[in-house]
Amino acid sequence: MSELTLLLLRIGFLILMWAFVFAIVYALRSDLFGTKVRRMPSAAAANAAAAPVSTPRPVSNPVPAPSAGDPPARRLVITSGAKEGLELDLPADELTIGRSSDSGLVIRDDYTSTNHARLSRQGDQWMLEDLDSTNGTFLQGKRVSSSVVVPLGAAISIGTTTFELRR
Amino acid sequence: MSSTSTSTPAAGSPRAFTEAITIKLRTPAKLRNLELVLLVFAIGITGAAVALVQLGALGEIDTAFIGYGAGLGVIAMVMHTTLRIVAPDADPFILPIVTTLNGIGIAMIYRLDLADGVEGWASESVRQMTWTAIAMIVATVVLVVVRNHRALARYRYVAMFVGIVLLLLPMLPGIGVTINGARLWVAVGPFSFQPGEVAKIALAVFFAGYLVTARESLSIVGRTFLGLRLPRGKDLGPILIVWLAAMAVLVFQRDLGTSLLYFGLFLVMIYVATGRLSWVLLGLGLFVGGALIAAQSLSYVGWRVQGWLGAFDPTVYEAQGGSYQLVQGIFGLASGGLIGTGLGQGRPDLVPLAESDFIIASLGEELGLVGLFAILALYILFAARGFRIGFNGTDDFGRLLGVGLAFVLALQVFIVIGGVTRVIPLTGLTTPFLAAGGSSLVANWVIAALLLRLSDTIRHQPRLIIEEDA
Repeated sequence: MSELTLLLLRIGFLILMWAFVFAIVYALRSDLFGTKVRRMPSAAAANAAAAPVSTPRPVSNPVPAPSAGDPPARRLVITSGAKEGLELDLPADELTIGRSSDSGLVIRDDYTSTNHARLSRQGDQWMLEDLDSTNGTFLQGKRVSSSVVVPLGAAISIGTTTFELRR
Repeated sequence: MSSTSTSTPAAGSPRAFTEAITIKLRTPAKLRNLELVLLVFAIGITGAAVALVQLGALGEIDTAFIGYGAGLGVIAMVMHTTLRIVAPDADPFILPIVTTLNGIGIAMIYRLDLADGVEGWASESVRQMTWTAIAMIVATVVLVVVRNHRALARYRYVAMFVGIVLLLLPMLPGIGVTINGARLWVAVGPFSFQPGEVAKIALAVFFAGYLVTARESLSIVGRTFLGLRLPRGKDLGPILIVWLAAMAVLVFQRDLGTSLLYFGLFLVMIYVATGRLSWVLLGLGLFVGGALIAAQSLSYVGWRVQGWLGAFDPTVYEAQGGSYQLVQGIFGLASGGLIGTGLGQGRPDLVPLAESDFIIASLGEELGLVGLFAILALYILFAARGFRIGFNGTDDFGRLLGVGLAFVLALQVFIVIGGVTRVIPLTGLTTPFLAAGGSSLVANWVIAALLLRLSDTIRHQPRLIIEEDA
């Protein structure tokens, strides 16, 4: 075994190690670096700029808030956007929404952040929480800042997709 | 990605057409296939490392040793197959990363055995391979037995008891052994192990279970001081108890690293549970204060600090228990340079304990800065996966446990490599997965298995994917 072969082999080994690291990083790329998010050009951006501060009181809406005894929502129905008309069963306790493929509901448009929002069930109610997204999450047209109760049938907008919760 | 199927429309809905299509949940083996590809890559790296060691040190390939290594590859494959059955949605990166680190460790220990001229059961490498096999089997058993991590929360006080007993065990006369000044080992007959390694899992389980119930009161804010919102005085009990325990480890077991490891674990978990930075600052203040007093009053702590700050001072270098080992390690790293001397071609055996505490210096000498950074990148990816698993958790206990386990491993890497590279005083902890030592291997493989289990229960498969151009 000549010196040169050994030198080439050991440089090859270092390259092999880094190839392994980069193979993992490549498979993880959206997790590690997030995905590029564009700003909403239209109404939502104006909306976001107009109401960046939180409104802690529950959002006023025409739909009555569920009373204590009501069973919780079990379905999520897309009411507008690319997959309008689709519905899915809500999981038992939590649904994350975002562009990352780790999310429960993956929305890949130009306006959705990697980890955009989270729906979580507390007792008989579903709570909506924005995970510091770039373009915001809107409940009945109002930007969500703190965790809010989602009434049945209230429109939730993320990017160009709007959906609501149903029983 | 998602597939649709028709189902019967629900009656009585105002928008019946929207219910004409529902989503069929997909159950992909995609993650496991990715894991298989990476695992084959990992086993390939290990094989290449062992072959290079033999070419560099012996000048020829010895197939017998490679045969043993192939046996370990088979066990890794068995673990992968088990994951397909008991945890199909588990994280696909943890097993390949851990296998690679463990394999590189075995190759380096084997290389040091070749330099020392030991073979068979006398050699560290054969024992390390046996321990790896045991650790992988234990990890597989953990995956099969622990089907729901929430069950662990029920045993939080058992975990506390086990953790404390394991920490105290080396102090018992008769079975406790003092090695290099630190009293961290227990020896029964020919077997010795470091119970502190297993204690870190028990304590992570206990802290997670305890903080889930206590987080409400611990996050209440008391007085504000210098713009920092301090916790209430009456909530200080737990942190003081953990601090006292950490100080007891420092004083009686004589090891700064172990003490820092457990206290750091508690601080990070209390921070994640409450979201209050004041806990971290308070805890760091307490720990630094305690460590400074210890450095002043306890001679061995003072020695460690002197060996760290004045490592190149000839009197410290030549003193018994001085900085000889540390400085030899740094010389080794220096002679490795950027791309290293090549596996099997350096002299890492000149450093005392090159196969355990100083394995990072040995690897740095033969693989160079480039190779060392690849190893660090693997640790970073492992910790990042753990934090990710914690972030995506569906229940508070799982979130805290995921973050705690990932952090304790990352902190241990920092303490060991920081000690070897003279960033912090040198301590007697082992480099996870790389260093020779059975208890460390078993404990860290169990951590990997718990993270895999958490990621399986936690990970959300997308229920629906909306593509804009769909």
